Order: sequence, then C-alpha cells, then structure tokens
Amino acid sequence: MRLSRRGLLRAGLAGTAATALGGLAAGCAVPAGSTGRNMVLWYWSGGLSDTVVKEATARYGKDVRLKAQQIGGYYRSKLITTLAGRAHIPDIAGLKGEDMASYLPNADQFVDLRTLGAERLKSRYLDWKWQQGVADDGSLVGFPIDVGPVVHYYQPAVFDKAGLPHEPADVSRELDTWEKFFAAGEQLRRRVRGAFLLTDVGSVFEMSLGQGTTRFVDRDRHFIGDGEHVRACWDRAVEAKRRGLVSDIVSGTPDWNSAAERGLLPSQLNASWAAGDLKLGLPKTKGRWRVADCPGGPSNVGGSFLAITKACREPERAFEIITWMLDADNQAQGFVDAGLFPSTPASYGMRRLREPDPFFGGQITMDVYGPAAEKIPVAYNSPYDIALGQPVRDEIKNVGVLGKDPDQAWRDAMGKCRRIADHLGVSY
Amino acid sequence: MATAPALDKPPAAATGTTAVHRRKGVLSHWRLYAAISPFYLLFLCFGLIPVGFSLYLSFHRWDGLGAMEWAGLAQFRYLLTDTDFWSSIGNTLIIWALATFPMILLAMVTAVMLNSAVRFKNVYRFAYFLPNVTSIVAVAIVFGSVFSTNFGLMNALLQAVGLDQVAWLNTPWGIKVAIATLMTWQWTGYNAIIFLAGLQTIPSDLYEAARIDGAGPVQTFLRVTLPLLRPTLLFVLVVSTVTGLQSFAEPQVLLQTTANESTFSGGPDHAGRTMVLYFFQQTFDNNDFGYGAAVAWGIFLVVVLFSIINWRLVQRRGED
Repeated sequence: MRLSRRGLLRAGLAGTAATALGGLAAGCAVPAGSTGRNMVLWYWSGGLSDTVVKEATARYGKDVRLKAQQIGGYYRSKLITTLAGRAHIPDIAGLKGEDMASYLPNADQFVDLRTLGAERLKSRYLDWKWQQGVADDGSLVGFPIDVGPVVHYYQPAVFDKAGLPHEPADVSRELDTWEKFFAAGEQLRRRVRGAFLLTDVGSVFEMSLGQGTTRFVDRDRHFIGDGEHVRACWDRAVEAKRRGLVSDIVSGTPDWNSAAERGLLPSQLNASWAAGDLKLGLPKTKGRWRVADCPGGPSNVGGSFLAITKACREPERAFEIITWMLDADNQAQGFVDAGLFPSTPASYGMRRLREPDPFFGGQITMDVYGPAAEKIPVAYNSPYDIALGQPVRDEIKNVGVLGKDPDQAWRDAMGKCRRIADHLGVSY
Repeated sequence: MATAPALDKPPAAATGTTAVHRRKGVLSHWRLYAAISPFYLLFLCFGLIPVGFSLYLSFHRWDGLGAMEWAGLAQFRYLLTDTDFWSSIGNTLIIWALATFPMILLAMVTAVMLNSAVRFKNVYRFAYFLPNVTSIVAVAIVFGSVFSTNFGLMNALLQAVGLDQVAWLNTPWGIKVAIATLMTWQWTGYNAIIFLAGLQTIPSDLYEAARIDGAGPVQTFLRVTLPLLRPTLLFVLVVSTVTGLQSFAEPQVLLQTTANESTFSGGPDHAGRTMVLYFFQQTFDNNDFGYGAAVAWGIFLVVVLFSIINWRLVQRRGED
C-alpha cells in the first residue's frame, strides 16, 4: 500500500482523537484504589522477603489476587504523589522508617490498625518499634516490619595485634562505654600503624543521638536541638576527632574497602543490615569480622512498616494478610532472605536465626543483635527532625573532615537551625 | 533597530494579502494542526500544567500530603535571605565555569580535528558521542573511583609527576573540580559533534580565498572559522548553561557515601551542593514542597538571567 500524505494525516488525526478520547474516558473513570479481585501491595526491592510475598500470594489466592509490586526509584515521593492524586492507590503500602515521621501527621490517609484489632498483637512486637508507628492522635498507622539494631563490627585479628580484647563477649564487656571505646582507639593507633578506630565523626554523633530519647524537635513543635542531649553527642564526636581516632577516608569508596580489607579500619558502628553490605562489599574478609555490643548502649537505624491505605476496599482482609506476613515465623524468613531483622522477639530464639555465620567466624550473631534490639530507647521523631537536624549534621562533618573550629561550627549550626525553625513554624 | 535594512520587509500590498491568507490558513489547515497536536497535548499535560502548579505551590506551605496552607510571599521572602540558596548558586556557577570553558575549547579542537580526519570519521563521531548517552549514575560511580584519595587514578597521575595526593572528594575545591571534570568529560564529545555540524556549513571557497590571501591555519581559524561558528557557539553556550545550571545527578552520586546521611547535602562545607541539589533537599528531605517550588522558580530566574547574558555576549561580538 502506498501511503499518501492525506492518508498519513487521517491516520494521525484518528490517533490523536483516540488518545484524547481514551485519556478523557480514563480520566473520568480512574479508580481511587485497586479494582476487581486485586489487592495491591507496594514495597521496594529488599523491603520484604520474596519467599513470604510469594507464599502470601498463594495462601490468600482464593480470596484476593495479591499483586505485590516493587516500586523502584524514590519510593516515598511516588507513594505520596499517588496518595495526593487519589488514583490507583495501593491497598497496602510499605513505609520506610526514616520517612515515618513525615507520614504520621497525615494519619487520615491510612486505616487506624487499632480498629482492626491490632492491639491484641502488640505484645508480640518490640514496644519501641510499635510506638514509632503510632500517630499523635493515638492511631496506629504502621505495622512493624524490621528493625536495625546498631552493633559494633570489628576485626578480632587487628584488635588482638593492638593488645585489645578480641573475643565478642570481652569486647562487649570491656568497650561498653564511649570513653573506653575511645581509649581503645588510641591504643589501636599506637600499636597498629595507619589504623583508625573510626571512619568519620558522623557515626559517633548519630549513634550517640540514637542512644537517647530526645532529638531535635519535641511533641509541642519546639526546637530542642540546642539542648544538652545534642550538645553531649556533638562534644563526643568532637572529642573523637581531637584524640585523632578518625580517618580521612570517605565511607563507601574504594579507599574505604581497601583500608577495611587491610585491617586499617577494623571497627564499624552500624545497624544489623550493614552486615549484608560488608558481605557484599568485602567478600575477601570472610571470617575476619565479629559482632559485639555498641559502646554506650543500643540504638536503631532504619527499619520499616506496612500500612493499609484508606482506599483499601477490604481492610480486614488486608490486615489478615499483613499480620500473617509479619508474624514471628515469616519475619525469621525475612532475615534469612533479605537481612530484615525481625521486630518480633519470638523469632530470635528460632533455630534458623541461630545458625553460626561463617562471615563472622562462626559466631551466632543473634546473641548480640537480639538483646540489642530489645533494649532500644523510645524516642519521639518529629516531622521537622530531618530539616532541623541537618545543619548540625553538616557542621559536625565540617569539623570532622575540614577541621573547622568546633565552637564556630556549633554556633553556625545553631544560627541556621533558628532560621529554619522560624521558617517552618517551629518555636525555639 | 532604525538602521535595520528594509530588505526583508515585504511591500505593503503583499503584507495585506498574506495576513488574509494566513488567517484563512489557520482554519483551513485544521487537520494539520490536529495532526501535530499530540505533542502539544502532552506538553500541556506534562509540561505546562506542572509548571503552573509549581508556581501555585510556591505561594503555599505543603508537606506533600496534608492540606495546603496559603503562605503569600513568605517562601520567596525566605528565599531571598536564605544564605544556603545563595551559596548553592555560587557553587553551581563555579562548577559550571570550571566545566564549560575547558569543554568548549576541547570540543572545538576535537571538531576541527574530526573535520579534517579522513578515515574512520563515523567511528570517531560515535566514540565522542558515547559519553553523553552513558548513564550519569554509572559515570559518577566510575569518577568516584577515579577521584578517590589513595587508589584513585587522578592521584596516581599526580604522584607520577611528583605531586602530592589531593583528597579530591573531601576538600571544597577538590569536589568542585571533580564534578566539573565529570561534566567536561560527558559533554565534550556531544558539543564537538555540534561544532562539527557547524564547521561543515562553512563554504569551502572561503577557506580557499583565505589560503590564496596567504592566511595561515591559525589565522584561518580565528578569522574565518570562529566568526562563522558564532551561531553554533551561541547554541552550545546556551545549552551548556541550561544543563550546567541544572546539574544535580553528578554531585549527588559522586558525593554519595554509605554513611547514614542525606544524599543531597553536597559533601563537606556543601561544596558540591548545586541549586537543583538544594531544591531536592528542601523538597524531598524536608518535605517542604512549597519552599521547594519557590527554590525551583529561583533556579528558573537564574537560568533565564544567564541565558540572556550569554545571548547578549555572543550577539554583541557579532555587531562589531
């Protein structure tokens, strides 16, 4: 067939009309949530155990078609765009722990899980984690997936060479305070050439802050980041720098990998999920790491939640599905599959989780993670915490990396915090 | 424009008929307009409406989910006094200048060489274009290795010629140079191909004339090639300005660490925090969508300003 110009134009016109009509029709009939037998679940890669998702799909297949969708890219912005657009909202949505504080003021977008009988399951989950999913009005928005207890990863061979305790139990006991930890760092630097206890000052500040119960903004929308509790964490980080315990290496770079492999950065304070990063990034160091308690006490980094949106047509069914997916058994599976540390203490005693880990020289790491997870303090996370914590975090980095004068840095941070607080309507 | 030649102005009588013809044309050619409408409809949906909405948003306070609250000019007032925003403009301009001027020079030299290359012309063109279509995230990760302190290629080169190591990604200037180098690498080939297209529109008899008049290669380049490349140069400059002023992924990925911290902070002393990175931080870290929109409009004004400056610069040179 020869294509004439007229023919092409007609085809183009028809195409446009069809698109416009289709768009219009779709625009009028966009459903707010899922359709048909579908029950849509949004999460991100590695956010849930694939095995458990597959089993849940089969298990509830006679009632609903569970469509578990991994959403790539910037998850939170996609979820809130969809919620704000009121179209194709998933029935069940994963909420990342670090975003939780920003979802809670909009608790009306989600079903209050207490209305579905969540309270009777409360005792099976870590209390501090449960509290993180509760909004100001008392409604339960998020159902606990995993937690991220912070521990002390270290290389026993290097600690031994430095004349430091190197058995996990000894390290936990003898380096239990920041002061003893720093003293050990000085000894390490003296005895092992080129070795540093800390990669940067950020981890000291961050973990210290996590060990307390107050952060930057309180429940009354008042800025408390200038208080003694933040200042103490700041001073501790500055002290680590002053005592020469901090390397000039950027974490995550080839330099870091190489230094860790050569035993020059033999210690790392990080969450349970960092074990996965170590295994992936430094496969050659298999067997050369151990896990001990974090100096100064337990804290948490990361961990996420599942929530049921208001668009869900069958909240009872959805609740049945998420509580099954997140029971102690399946959370244990989540740890095995994806390194998701369970928020259900009953999982910690299961044989699957008490397997010796060859990467950690056959240590049963659960002996460290489990007790740490149970002792994490409850802290209030304000939706303004990120904005008002950032200047402090930026300035402690300037102290650590650029050697900025700590007093000047603190003044700069506080000055900036006051300006931001003023802008955001937070009192100070 | 009083001295402008009247040559391109058609006679008055002709203007009248053209206008009538044109008016009729719009209606009688409705099919043609309908045929090209998909672009405009899509642009309306995904371009114009979001742009309008962001303007609306910049007069509000919004956390992205809850109720919007009217803020009047408060966001813009804060923007004007926000030292972080002004420093991000400074960072962007420094990085842009560090990237663009070497890039234009390299691209022009490359284009002249490509133009005189006899064999494998297409292979070269393909090779030079490749960096531009490579994923910026992948490129930034590679450059992160290149600029790492102890095992980076850059420091290996410095040490080979007897210089000291530089902690590229841990010092304010090192960060800027690293980002600029990445951008230069990525855009040189693309712009070389644009320059090459410009070179090929220059009639060869001009070169012949120059040769007969006894001009050397440098003189030919400065007196023939460069003046005739001016429109191309303008295009390259404007495009580089628009892309350079919107740089975002380069610093974000290059300065990403595995530490538990914001990926939008731009490294120590915010040395790599460009305007768009700052916009992302305000919008997506702080959930301050209203202020984010105001920052976006601030960026827009800066880009417009620099496009005008570029245009005037190249234009004025054309007049004298």
